[in-house]
Amino acid sequence: MQAEEYSLIEQCRDGNSEAYAILVERYQGMVYNVACRMIGDRDAAYDISQESFISAYDGLKRFRSDSKFSTWLYRITVNKCRDYLRCRKPDVPLDEVTEILPSKMPDPEESMYQKQLGQTLQRAIGALPEDYREVIVLKHIEGLDYKEMESILGVSANALKVRTYRAREMLKKVLLEAGVSNG
Amino acid sequence: MDKMDKERQLIHEFLDGELSPEERRDLLDRVNSDPLLKREFDDLRSVVEMVETGERLAVPPAFTSQVMRRLPAPKVSFRKRVSSFFFGARVLRWNMATALVTLCLVVIATGALLQMQKKGKVVSYQSSVEKSSRTVVISFQAPQAKAVAVAGDFNQWSIEKGLMEKKSDGVWTLEVPLEPGTYHYMFVVDGEVWVSDPNAELYRDDGFGNKNSVLRVSL
Repeated sequence: MQAEEYSLIEQCRDGNSEAYAILVERYQGMVYNVACRMIGDRDAAYDISQESFISAYDGLKRFRSDSKFSTWLYRITVNKCRDYLRCRKPDVPLDEVTEILPSKMPDPEESMYQKQLGQTLQRAIGALPEDYREVIVLKHIEGLDYKEMESILGVSANALKVRTYRAREMLKKVLLEAGVSNG
Repeated sequence: MDKMDKERQLIHEFLDGELSPEERRDLLDRVNSDPLLKREFDDLRSVVEMVETGERLAVPPAFTSQVMRRLPAPKVSFRKRVSSFFFGARVLRWNMATALVTLCLVVIATGALLQMQKKGKVVSYQSSVEKSSRTVVISFQAPQAKAVAVAGDFNQWSIEKGLMEKKSDGVWTLEVPLEPGTYHYMFVVDGEVWVSDPNAELYRDDGFGNKNSVLRVSL
């Protein structure tokens, strides 16, 4: 996989844009989901995902073959999200996440409940501070380990562990206040 | 750090899969025996499960093609541009007009090629003769003669084909293109008298009592 990917990257560097289309196809889901979860707005996430791939293409000459392409692409995406969030209006206050979720529905309305649960979860993630949001998205949505997160975020794995513990505690608190319980 | 904080820390390590089997067992035992700790444990595990099992969002269609459209034009070196121009694969888009024009060009080119081939046969033949042969000037001095010809195996012993031209000094000459090889010949004076070349390098009996002159042509 790695060798095939480096071969594609070499082809891109030689001006073969078709090779880049293969990489975009392969990683678009990853980039789009990270952007959506970080930003909480699908239209903006779409633009950020596009910009991330264009920046990656521009910077392919600087990509070092000793790291994974996906790690590098995560880093670009996270940075794009940070830039966007910096310019955007303030995040949803924590207390606005509450009172969104109805009490748990009976089975026929389960799918509606699940949809609302998903929306509540997204709002709860969006209510977290930016650095907490990053670790929740990378750790639990993308399933990365702390070592890879260290490469993406430029923060030591130990510091990221502590940050993740705190992010989980805060997310738990927000969700409990929004009426989401494990029962 | 109080006892609850320590337990919370262990719960997080449990969720990250960083506890040893013994530590896991011990923690779960304590969780099951302490309702408050169990609540903490269940809440945190529920949050993690909820995030991890959340639906992955589908990428809108045409995402890749839109990225590809927005990519900057690649910076390709002059050498690569030239190479790509000559050897790169490209897609030709056809319509009826271009197809008809192409068909006409093919017909014209084929006709011209056939025409050239016809001429080419002669040209190539002449050329090959010139290339693989040399022109030999055969000369014979006979100031009194009215006509002199050279007949040999290179012109099927034909007097007509070997008629020589008289120069001012009484020397009769003929230029004969000959490929490398050995040839036999004789001069025919006034259409009747067959004479051997007095300057020939070599002679061979012709079987009729005369001696043919021998000419060797080398490359």
